Amino acid sequence: MLKLHNLSRTYQSDEVETMALNNVNIEIKQGEFVAIMGPSGCGKSTLLNIIGMLDSPTSGDYLFQEENIAGYNESKLAIIRKHNIGFIFQSFNLIDELTVAENIELALLYHKVPAAERKARVAKVMDKVGIAHRANHMPSQLSGGQQQRVAVARAVVGNQSMILADEPTGNLDSAHGQEVMEMLQALNEEGTTIVMVTHSPSHADYAKRTINLFDGQVITQNIKAA
Amino acid sequence: MWRNYLTIAWRNIIKNGVFSAINIFGLAVGLMSCILIMLFVREESGFDRWLKDSDRLVRMHTAYIKADGPSFLTVRSAGMMMPAVRDYAKNEIEDGVRLIPFGMTVRKGEDAFDETLTMADGSFFNIFDLPFVHGDANSSFTKPLDTIISEKMALKYFGRTDVIGETLTLCCLRDNTVPMTISGVIKDLPQATHLDLDILVYLQPEIFAENDSVLNTWTSVNVYTYFKMRPGVSVAQLQERLTYWVNNESQFRDSMSDFSSDGAEKKQASDFMQHKLMAVPDLHLQARKDAGNMGDLSPMGDQKMISTFVIVAVLILLIACINFMNLATARASQRAREVAMRKVLGASRGQVALQFLAEAVAIVMISLLFALVAVELVLPLYNQALGRELTFELFNDLPMLFSLLAVALLVGLGAGLYPALYLSRYLPGHILKSNKSGESGATAKLRTALVVIQFATSIGLVISTAVVFSQTNFVKSIDVGYVSDNKLILNVGVARNNLESLKQQLVNLPEISSVVYSSEAPTQDNENSTFFKLMENIDGQTANEGQIFNYHNVGYGFFEAYEVNPIAGRLFSQNHGADKLAAPQQANEQVNHASVVINQSALKKLGLNDPQQAIGLTLFSQNILQDYPFELKIVGVIPDIYFRSVKFDVRPSIYMLNPQRFRVASLSFKTDDIPKLLKDIEEVWKNNVPMQPINLSFLSGMMAAQYESEVTEAKLFSAFSVLAILVACLGLYGLAAFTAERRTKEIGIRKIMGARVQDIVTLLIWQFSKPVLIANLIAWPISIYAMTYWLQSFPYRIDLLWLLPICLVTGALTLLIAWLTVGGNAAKVARANPIKALRTE
Repeated sequence: MLKLHNLSRTYQSDEVETMALNNVNIEIKQGEFVAIMGPSGCGKSTLLNIIGMLDSPTSGDYLFQEENIAGYNESKLAIIRKHNIGFIFQSFNLIDELTVAENIELALLYHKVPAAERKARVAKVMDKVGIAHRANHMPSQLSGGQQQRVAVARAVVGNQSMILADEPTGNLDSAHGQEVMEMLQALNEEGTTIVMVTHSPSHADYAKRTINLFDGQVITQNIKAA
Repeated sequence: MWRNYLTIAWRNIIKNGVFSAINIFGLAVGLMSCILIMLFVREESGFDRWLKDSDRLVRMHTAYIKADGPSFLTVRSAGMMMPAVRDYAKNEIEDGVRLIPFGMTVRKGEDAFDETLTMADGSFFNIFDLPFVHGDANSSFTKPLDTIISEKMALKYFGRTDVIGETLTLCCLRDNTVPMTISGVIKDLPQATHLDLDILVYLQPEIFAENDSVLNTWTSVNVYTYFKMRPGVSVAQLQERLTYWVNNESQFRDSMSDFSSDGAEKKQASDFMQHKLMAVPDLHLQARKDAGNMGDLSPMGDQKMISTFVIVAVLILLIACINFMNLATARASQRAREVAMRKVLGASRGQVALQFLAEAVAIVMISLLFALVAVELVLPLYNQALGRELTFELFNDLPMLFSLLAVALLVGLGAGLYPALYLSRYLPGHILKSNKSGESGATAKLRTALVVIQFATSIGLVISTAVVFSQTNFVKSIDVGYVSDNKLILNVGVARNNLESLKQQLVNLPEISSVVYSSEAPTQDNENSTFFKLMENIDGQTANEGQIFNYHNVGYGFFEAYEVNPIAGRLFSQNHGADKLAAPQQANEQVNHASVVINQSALKKLGLNDPQQAIGLTLFSQNILQDYPFELKIVGVIPDIYFRSVKFDVRPSIYMLNPQRFRVASLSFKTDDIPKLLKDIEEVWKNNVPMQPINLSFLSGMMAAQYESEVTEAKLFSAFSVLAILVACLGLYGLAAFTAERRTKEIGIRKIMGARVQDIVTLLIWQFSKPVLIANLIAWPISIYAMTYWLQSFPYRIDLLWLLPICLVTGALTLLIAWLTVGGNAAKVARANPIKALRTE
């Protein structure tokens, strides 16, 4: 599905150059469930942003479905992104002014899906994540777990083949956290590729493979026995 | 998609009620001012354009160029010009017409009214194709004394419009009454015309004597001359033909030979007498510069006022737009997450920018709705202030509707473009992860800069308003040199035959202390000038050159009634029988004698410094009473008194006593019972001058009327300035509220470190005082420069040093307003519990 080759990312501020990623080589196959772990500041989020095309590498190659997209500009990346990748964030990032249903529908608006079909798909995915009874509530009226379920629904409503999750359980208590993890696992079993950044070893256990990052480099990769 | 944009936009408007209200109110005020000013400007610049073939109509203006001193300008021209020019420039001119307006008393049965009649050549309707209600251009205006009246006049005299064949009586044309038979009725002219035609009378040139100065002269300017050019001819082309004719082929060129021969270089006739053509649609706004002080057929417009108002409208809109930009970018952090998420979900930058632009336009459209309502509410007041009947019917007025939509769209784009680009720039990864606002220092600086611009603009407007007001008050308070209290001015032009008995009966009224006659009352500006020559040789004056002086005729007691005291010599007195100017009993070749009083300016013009020196000197003139030669002894010198508006200089003037020229009586009264006073005077009038309407005005009212347009302008100007300041302050309030909110964490930390409430308030107030102070420093020099320039046009103006305190007070005032605006918010935030503040961040 994607392949990173000798990929580096440096950040330049006034006088300090920070190397967030250093010669990273990773390959992720269709249908995989990959967890990325490592201490704070090791480059996990940078890696996830680059995979998610929200950021571009300073050097190296990024092959997404056989296409090297390392040098693409923002608008080109946006097009590839919206058809392939869904996101889930630690802080949910729901839009406060929109209802649950409208938040989920937002993902389809940029896909030019006709209104009737949008409604049907939103209803279906809300059912799937068990949030249908809250369709007309505002995000502020929901619990954290419910909000994250809405975010998951939004990430998959466009039939994206890959979900990137940035500490999806970071703001949740353990019961809700587990709920979300089970949902991700279920999606993976249906064929969705999942890449997840997490601090929690127990949540990383849901993944089939764990990549450990340290100071911008891949240290170890553990593959879970089937 | 658009529904989603609308949903988000609407919920944001509701959620941020205060900010939305500030934006909408500001924009609505801006748009309202804009609409009001557009209505006025459109009316002013649309004058006479509705006339058929208006682009082919021109009027001829005349200027006498004086080598020493200001030229004599008028929009009239000499009576003989029209036929001569029309016949000469046949290829350029289709036809021409002369208009001669004059005041007359019109009677119908027992009713009598003073009206302005306009005599016009039979070609009138070839030039001005006005629509008829009854009759038509081909048959109604073909022979002498054919009379066309407006619908309004028909209703006034007859109560109906179908009045062809009815008769009105003209009173006192050469002391005869003349019946006029109405031959046609035209529609009332709309307000937007320089023409003032209620009664139009067919001009019969033959009734004017061969040497009559109204019609049969090349130099006396008494008629309004219009031409209709042939299609395709430009004003410049015709002007060129006209000037060529004046200099080379005109019959009057030779009469000016005494001018053209003097001096070394050969001069042309047009160096002394210019004939300038002006397109009729330009007359309302441009004629002022050719009009001198005699005015036009109707009150003239003022291009300068129009431009000023347009600038003010644009400035208010600018201030409102800046509010929008500032509040939108300041609150950007609140929308940053939404923008980032939209981008993550696949929105391009263009789509996000478009969303915010659309939002801005939507807010402007909402504001426009409020503005439209506001215009409806304010329009009557506005009309009253302007003395107009502007109407606002948006749906019958497509050009207005579309230009308003265009303005709203433009304002929306102007206000929304920067926030849209700014907001759509956010890179999603950064914001979604770190929860940061993405606000950079540069944006905050830009916001401060915009606030500076806003305040500099408002301060500039306030300073200008203050200067305009000071100047207007100053002009009104100038000592005119005479006492104007308790004076009534009675027009006695129609009672010339029994002035003495009228005077006697008026003086006998217990509430009247004196009655004096004169040719003009103060504020009535008739320019009468002619040549006077000093007979005696005085030091430094070698030749007795004739000089042009303005002259007035005043009766015995005139100066005394106005409490004007001589600075040398004496005033006119019945004890000196020789003061009065009178025609000789029998025609003789001898020189006649009379006395004159001169003013200080005249003294100076004669080359004298000491008023005493002038007493006993003699002026010679042959043009003041038919062509009898007169030697006029100077018996007194008075200070300069402002017979005309203080907007103009005092002219060197000679006062003489010729009862033949008396037109007005000044009545000094000593009573508070004004209704009884007026009733008594009217009774006396009716006994003496039956069948003539009385024409009586308070001098104080006539003096106030001179400054009416300035006062109106000042009032409107200040109203718009207040609106501008209000909008700017609202913006500042919003910005302050927002900043205080954003700085809660910083304020919390400061408080934990030991800052007191007043420290925090000072901190915030200082943050907002800086831009206001800088704005003052920018606005002061610009306004001082602009207002100095504006004041140049007044011969008497306030001391420029006054600008300094005006600037300082304005500065202090804006600072105070800014403090009051910011202070409340600052105090609220400063008093909040710091722990709470720190937890929320």
